[in-house]
Amino acid sequence: MSAKHLSPEMLNQRRLEAVRLRLDGLTVASTAKRTGLSAPTVSAAWKAFREGGWQAVPVRPRGRHKGNTQTLGESEREYLWQRISRWPANNSPGWTSRELAEALSDETGQKVSQRAVEHWLEARNLKPAPMSLETATKRSRKGRWLHQQVQPVLERVRSLGGTHWLGGVRVVTNSNDRQAPCYQLYVHGKHGVLHTCRFATPPKAKDYIELFKRLAEQGPTALIFHGAFFKASAEITTWLEQHTDFQLLGVPPNSKL
Amino acid sequence: MTTLTHLQRLEAESIQIMREVVAESENPVMLYSVGKDSAVMLHLARKAFAPSPPPFPLLHVDTRWKFRAMYEFRDRMAEEASMDLLVHINPEGIEKDINPFTHGSAIHTDVMKTEGLKQAMDKYGFDAAFGGARRDEEKSRAKERVFSFRTAQHRWDPKNQRPELWKVFNTFKHKGESIRVFPLSNWTELDIWQYIYLQNIPIVPLYYSAERPVVERDGALIMVDDERMPLEPGEVPMMRKVRFRTLGCYPLTGAVESEADTLPAIIQEMLLTRTSERQGRVIDHDSAASMEKKKQEGYF
Repeated sequence: MSAKHLSPEMLNQRRLEAVRLRLDGLTVASTAKRTGLSAPTVSAAWKAFREGGWQAVPVRPRGRHKGNTQTLGESEREYLWQRISRWPANNSPGWTSRELAEALSDETGQKVSQRAVEHWLEARNLKPAPMSLETATKRSRKGRWLHQQVQPVLERVRSLGGTHWLGGVRVVTNSNDRQAPCYQLYVHGKHGVLHTCRFATPPKAKDYIELFKRLAEQGPTALIFHGAFFKASAEITTWLEQHTDFQLLGVPPNSKL
Repeated sequence: MTTLTHLQRLEAESIQIMREVVAESENPVMLYSVGKDSAVMLHLARKAFAPSPPPFPLLHVDTRWKFRAMYEFRDRMAEEASMDLLVHINPEGIEKDINPFTHGSAIHTDVMKTEGLKQAMDKYGFDAAFGGARRDEEKSRAKERVFSFRTAQHRWDPKNQRPELWKVFNTFKHKGESIRVFPLSNWTELDIWQYIYLQNIPIVPLYYSAERPVVERDGALIMVDDERMPLEPGEVPMMRKVRFRTLGCYPLTGAVESEADTLPAIIQEMLLTRTSERQGRVIDHDSAASMEKKKQEGYF
C-alpha cells in the first residue's frame, strides 16, 4: 500500500520502524519494501535519526494548528466566551458546540459551523478528552474500582432506563491566552458529546448542584466525576442523600482515567 | 589528591559543624520539623556519628496543625534513627485552643512555634539546637551566621553577630546563652534535592506531586488535610495535581501545581524555578521583615 495518504501518526510509526530496520542492517531498498515507504522517505528518516536521534525521526505536524484560523471574528469569540459563562436556557447540562453555534446564529445572525465552535473550544483549551473506562485490567487499582464500584451502578441505572455521564472540573490555562486561568465544569454524554460551562472562580456547591439537577431531570442518572472533593461539602452530600436516583461516583485520586 | 564535588564539600562542612557542636556544648538537641531540610540534617547527623546513633535527641515543636503525613513520617524516622523524639506542644496554646483560623497566622506562629520552642529549650535545658534553616530561604536567614547566639531570653540580635572567617567558629557562650546552629546554611534548595536524590533519603510524600484536595486562599493553594479546615460557604475543594516545596502547618502552607512525581522531575523543576520556596508560607508575608522580627523574638 502506498504511504501517500497515511495519517501523520501512522507515517511516524513507519519512519521509526524504518530506522529500526536500517539499524538492523537492512538496505534502504529492502527497508522501503518492508515498511511501504518510498526510498527517499526511508533515507530522510535515517538522515534525521543520524543528525538528531530518535526524537528527530517523526515528521512535524502538517498544516495549520486546529483553531488557529480566524473563522470567528472578535465579537463572535467574545460572544461565545460570555455565553459559556452561564448555563444554557434549556435544561442541557452545559453548552455543546452545536448549541453554541445555533445560539450565535440566532442572536447575531452570523452563520457559524459547529466545527468552527469546536475549533475555538480546542484553541481555548476548553475541550477535555472524555475519560476512558475501557482500558483498565481487572487487577489494577483502576480496574478494581471500575469493576467493583462503577459497573454495578451503571448496570442498575441502565436497568432503570437511565443514562450515565462522564464529567469533571478542571482549571483551564492557555499558554496563548493572556487571560487569567478559569475553571471548567464539563460532562461527556452519549457519543462523547461535550457539554461545558466556564467559571471565573472555582465552582461552588450551587454550581455542581445545578449540573446534577440538569442531569437528574433526564431520569435515573449515574455521573462519574473527576476533579472535586465532594465529601467536604455538606450541601452536596445533603443533595445527594435526597436524590437517590442520581448516582455520583467520584474518580479515585491519581487513577489517570 | 581527589577533588570533592560541591555536594561532598557541603556535606563535609555540615558534618564538621555537627561534630564541633557536640564537642563544645553540654546538652545539644536537633530541631526536627519533618521537612526535607530536617531529613537531610538527620541523615548528616547519622553519618557524622555512625555507627552510633547521634548523641542528641530530636525535638519537634508541634503546633498540632502539621499535615497528617508528616506525623506518620516523623514517628517512623525517629524509630529508624534510634533517636529519642521529644515532642513539645505549648500547653497554653492547647488551653486557649490557638489555631491559625481563629487567631490568625501571626498569633498561631508566635504562641505555638516561638513560645513553644523557648519553653522546650528551657524545660530540657538545651544549650545548642541544630536547625535546618538555609540562607537562600529568606532575607533574614541570609544574614544569620551558622552559629547564632541567643540570649538567656532566647532573643537574637542581628547587629551583634560573630564573624565566621575561614569557617572558624567561636562557640564560647556566656552564662544562660544558647546557640542555634545551622549546618545547612550554605546549602541551596537545589543542593538539598540533589543530595536527597543521590543519598536516597526518605522524605514526606507530600513533596511529590499527586492529586490532592485544595482550596484557593489569596492566590495560595491550601490542602484540605482534615475536617478541621473551615470551608467558605458553598466552597468545594478541587482535586488538583500539586506538591509542596516547603512544609509547615497545613493551613499556612501553600502547594504548587506540579507534575513532578519523582526526584529527577523535582530537580528538573527546581532548575527552572525563579521563586523562593518560602513564597508558599503565609507566615512570611505577615508584615515587612516579619521573619526577622520573629527571629529576634526567638523563632527558629
